[in-house]
Amino acid sequence: MAKQAVSFTLNGKTVDVLVEPRELLIHTLRENLNQTGAHIGCETSHCGVCTVDIDGESVKSCTLLTVQTAGSDVKSVEGMATADGLHVIQQAFVDEHGLQCGFCTPGMLMRAYRFLQENPDPNDEEIRWGMSGNLCRCTGYQNIINAVRTAAKNLQQA
Amino acid sequence: MDTVADKQKREDSLNGVGCSRKRKEDARFIQGKGNYTDDIKMPGMLFADMVRSPYAHARIISINTEKALALPGVHAVLTAADLKPLNLHWMPTLAGDVQAVLADEKVHFQYQEVALVVADDRYIAADAIDLVEVEYEELPVLVDPHKAMTAEAPILREDLVGKMEGAHSTRKHDNHIFNWQAGEKDATDRVFDAAEVTVSQDMVYHRVHPCPLETCGCVASMDKINGKLTVYLTSQAPHVVRTVVSMLSGLPESSVRIVSPDIGGGFGNKVGIYPGYVASIVASIVLGVPVKWVEDRMENISTTAFARDYHMRGELAADSNGIIKALRVNVLADHGAFDSCADPSKFPAGFMHICTGSYDIPVAHLNVDGVYTNKAPGGVSYRCSFRVTEAVYVIERTMDVLAQKLGIDKAEIRRRNFVKKEQFPYTTCLGFELDSGDYHTALEKVLDAVDYKGLRREQEEKRANGELMGIGLVTFTEVVGAGPSKSCDILGVGMFDSAEIRVHPTGSVMARMGTITQGQGHQTTYAQIIASELGITSDEIAIEEGDTDTSPYGLGTYGSRSTPVGGAATAVAARKIKAKAKKIAAHLLEVSEDDLEWEVDRFKVKGVPGQEKTMKDIAWAAYNNVPEGMEPGLEAVDYYDPPNFTFPFGAYLCVVDIDKDTGVTDIRRFYALDDCGTRINPMIIDGQIHGGLTEGYAVAMGQEMPYDEEGNLLGNTLMDYFLPTFVETPKWETDYTVTPSPHHPIGAKGVAESPHVGSIPTFTSAMVDAFAHLDVTHMDMPHNAYRVWKQIKALGLLDN
Amino acid sequence: MKVDLNKEFSLPGTGVQAWTFLQDIRGVASCMPGAEITEDLGDGNYKGKVKAKIGPATMAFNGDIIIQNIDAEKRELHMIGKGQDTKGSSSATMDLRAWVEDTEDGKSVLQGVATVTVNGKAASLGGRMMTQVADQMLNQFGKSFANNVASMGEGEEAEMARDKIAEQPAELNGLAFAWSVFVGWFGSLFSSKK
Repeated sequence: MAKQAVSFTLNGKTVDVLVEPRELLIHTLRENLNQTGAHIGCETSHCGVCTVDIDGESVKSCTLLTVQTAGSDVKSVEGMATADGLHVIQQAFVDEHGLQCGFCTPGMLMRAYRFLQENPDPNDEEIRWGMSGNLCRCTGYQNIINAVRTAAKNLQQA
Repeated sequence: MDTVADKQKREDSLNGVGCSRKRKEDARFIQGKGNYTDDIKMPGMLFADMVRSPYAHARIISINTEKALALPGVHAVLTAADLKPLNLHWMPTLAGDVQAVLADEKVHFQYQEVALVVADDRYIAADAIDLVEVEYEELPVLVDPHKAMTAEAPILREDLVGKMEGAHSTRKHDNHIFNWQAGEKDATDRVFDAAEVTVSQDMVYHRVHPCPLETCGCVASMDKINGKLTVYLTSQAPHVVRTVVSMLSGLPESSVRIVSPDIGGGFGNKVGIYPGYVASIVASIVLGVPVKWVEDRMENISTTAFARDYHMRGELAADSNGIIKALRVNVLADHGAFDSCADPSKFPAGFMHICTGSYDIPVAHLNVDGVYTNKAPGGVSYRCSFRVTEAVYVIERTMDVLAQKLGIDKAEIRRRNFVKKEQFPYTTCLGFELDSGDYHTALEKVLDAVDYKGLRREQEEKRANGELMGIGLVTFTEVVGAGPSKSCDILGVGMFDSAEIRVHPTGSVMARMGTITQGQGHQTTYAQIIASELGITSDEIAIEEGDTDTSPYGLGTYGSRSTPVGGAATAVAARKIKAKAKKIAAHLLEVSEDDLEWEVDRFKVKGVPGQEKTMKDIAWAAYNNVPEGMEPGLEAVDYYDPPNFTFPFGAYLCVVDIDKDTGVTDIRRFYALDDCGTRINPMIIDGQIHGGLTEGYAVAMGQEMPYDEEGNLLGNTLMDYFLPTFVETPKWETDYTVTPSPHHPIGAKGVAESPHVGSIPTFTSAMVDAFAHLDVTHMDMPHNAYRVWKQIKALGLLDN
Repeated sequence: MKVDLNKEFSLPGTGVQAWTFLQDIRGVASCMPGAEITEDLGDGNYKGKVKAKIGPATMAFNGDIIIQNIDAEKRELHMIGKGQDTKGSSSATMDLRAWVEDTEDGKSVLQGVATVTVNGKAASLGGRMMTQVADQMLNQFGKSFANNVASMGEGEEAEMARDKIAEQPAELNGLAFAWSVFVGWFGSLFSSKK
């Protein structure tokens, strides 16, 4: 299959990749660009471990073709922490024990990152609905809800 | 000058046992720097994918690989014919059976592995799979385990025909795997015949799948120049894998390195050794390059490690006061096409004989028959210790049925039958020695916390209004920490576990264990144990697991065995170091060892303030100033063979409200009290309990693996298979009591599985309770809205 | 995954016409959307293929058709179609009995009893929709069969029927088909609760 050149922005830097039209973004990120934070869990858009942020929306990168991201602004978990340290949301996940095996965590963090911009002051019910596209098998969600609530509070104070 | 405050400050700075230390492993996970199997990339690595059978039972007439091999980018297509000369087309299972690596002449279940395609990347491999042409001749399919041993049943395992001596017993039928019994049959039957009251309840513990978010996979890399095989794989037991791979391949164990990197959840799914691993290893040996194989979700749910599928009958004999006189349990176990259960070798039904539960039962009999069907093999412990979930389910359900029949409240009937605090250690009639427990205290604490009487009053009012409200109650006892090597082994290797601790000259520590974390937080909690034992802050203690080249041999992490066995090894190894440290301290302080006392992080000369040596001082001295005749260095290894299992217990209560028109259930309240003995890290314990309860909720309320008559698994993606989301997962309330295990070095018992084991019967208990006034005694799981609605309809409760 | 289906289609032609057409295996096969006979192996054995496109998924089945029995007296055809998808991940079998009955108005009906068995991925992924999919496929078959019978007559109606046959798509029309499956499924949801 003939490959196509695709350019997009990943965590603020322009990247150029050569991909088959059928290649999924998750594979381009993980195998071509060595950004293995986003994972593959179900291939059917249900689990959300592949969640990244594209042009201001949460996107499950296991069901998006890389060619569809041409010209887009893509953010992944690798871009969350800065030279100044961890992102407030990352710190909240540590403080509230919002992760165990860590497999869902990058997707969870990217969803929380977008969700808290959509709703900066959510109650627990809103967090549950807002985060419900991401599955976790370890935590039972309770501490993730605490983490998102804590992050919201700390982001507002920041 | 030491003050009480100073001592406390030093104690706190250790971050030792009992504190909610933040997790050491989090830093890499929150920054996307975890290193899971599919993250591993090696130069020249190829990608493997599996051709699988669409049929549950069929003869393979031919396999044509020509078109697949002709596809550019395809390097090899392996079939059973290729593995046969290496004698690798079948492999031994952990349960004394054999399993086909690639289907040999016949397929025995839908999605069985037929051929392995190796290609440049996963896209080409997927294309090539479609090009492998397999011609099948369909055979009659056996799905219902109840029909497995009938005369008409098709014989599944032609390789076993005539071999009537099985690994565990004589086989009664070609589809029979084993019969296993515990207790006294005749004595039990006699009690039943004479009993004032008896109850009997049939129940199906349906087939489910652990379904961790990371599927199974491996990267096999044969270095032909150095003769070394390295395999990165998703294994909860890497050392056992090394032994098996060595036995299969003929390579010495020293030439095999197994690495379990970060694991994205296990829950029992990653205990087994799967055909994909073995076929990938062969491919790497044949091709001389690294080969990666990773399951997709369909493959994961369909082929690797189902759990449960126990068809049970629980019977209790009692007097009219509800005092139990005898227990009888019969099980028909559906093991699928190959017996690849992961149990200690001598226990083909795991620890099902813990089914006497928390109760003082004079006599019991347990009978288990395992049979083959045309379904995927497995039978793993899904977040439980070897069939303990099934055992707890059968006794707790049957207790409720007895209470119902006698009109005794379900809390009261448990009170009357509990093993009393003063009876411990208590030997059950099926042979376990329960080392400790305080069941009455746990139960009363829960009943008080939720205002049980008030709930019952409310239920009465609701029933009068025609509303459906149920209260579930379970008081479970688990058996974990397998186990004493006198009774427990895997493939002949005793089920000890190990720790190796090295104290560096400057007093920091590197420790390695034979277990492997999959989210439990070993890097954090093992360090806490060492910190408390040695007086070195846990922040300076590094924990490594999972690389068989560096860590001591251990049996791995499953069945809640890390804390009871690995944790014990860690404490004992630390104590060996401390004993040596004491000798060095005595030498440095020029006193006898008897004159020394330990305080937090140092040895002090009794009665002489200021005469003391901290562990850091001692560590430095260990490398330059040891007593004469003592070897330098400060390290120890311990292989811990536990004298007994540990027996965590708990009391769980659940309140449900059921919508009569839709069958939708609202879990109004779930209160979980656990006693796991000494609590190493309360934050992590709570997290483990939240997770276990959520998995229990998934099993009880929605997960199922329905097979149709043709053996097709209907629903093997996350479109169908139920994983609870944020929205439906209930809010959990947790509580605890502390009854330390008397034989464990620090009194800890293990916790991660209790919430799964205990919650599942609690949900069923609550669901049935909602209908108990209508004489319903049992409802089989999963309690999804449709099934509950059918129950409502059958009872004539629908308004229209 | 096994589904039993009973179908009845009113035909615009006479029983004799319908029976004549029912014995034309190639013609009958062409009534199944996306299906065609590719080879006549003799003795009532044929090779054929079916191609169906539903949403993004395309399935192509290659298979055998065996005419078990043609009973001229009862005007009944018994055939078995058996196929494996070209990717080797699914298979399907249809055991079909179809017969023609006269009606009082001088026309006829086609009666059909079929058992459809699906194995492999198609069963795992599509099990829930199986009944509806099979039902809709047979409905399209019935319409096309009726057109064929009508086209055997003369006059305007037959002319129109011949036009419709010519316009029939070569493979199953994905979207319209998916819609009719959905409508069927939705309908069944309510009927089963009564």
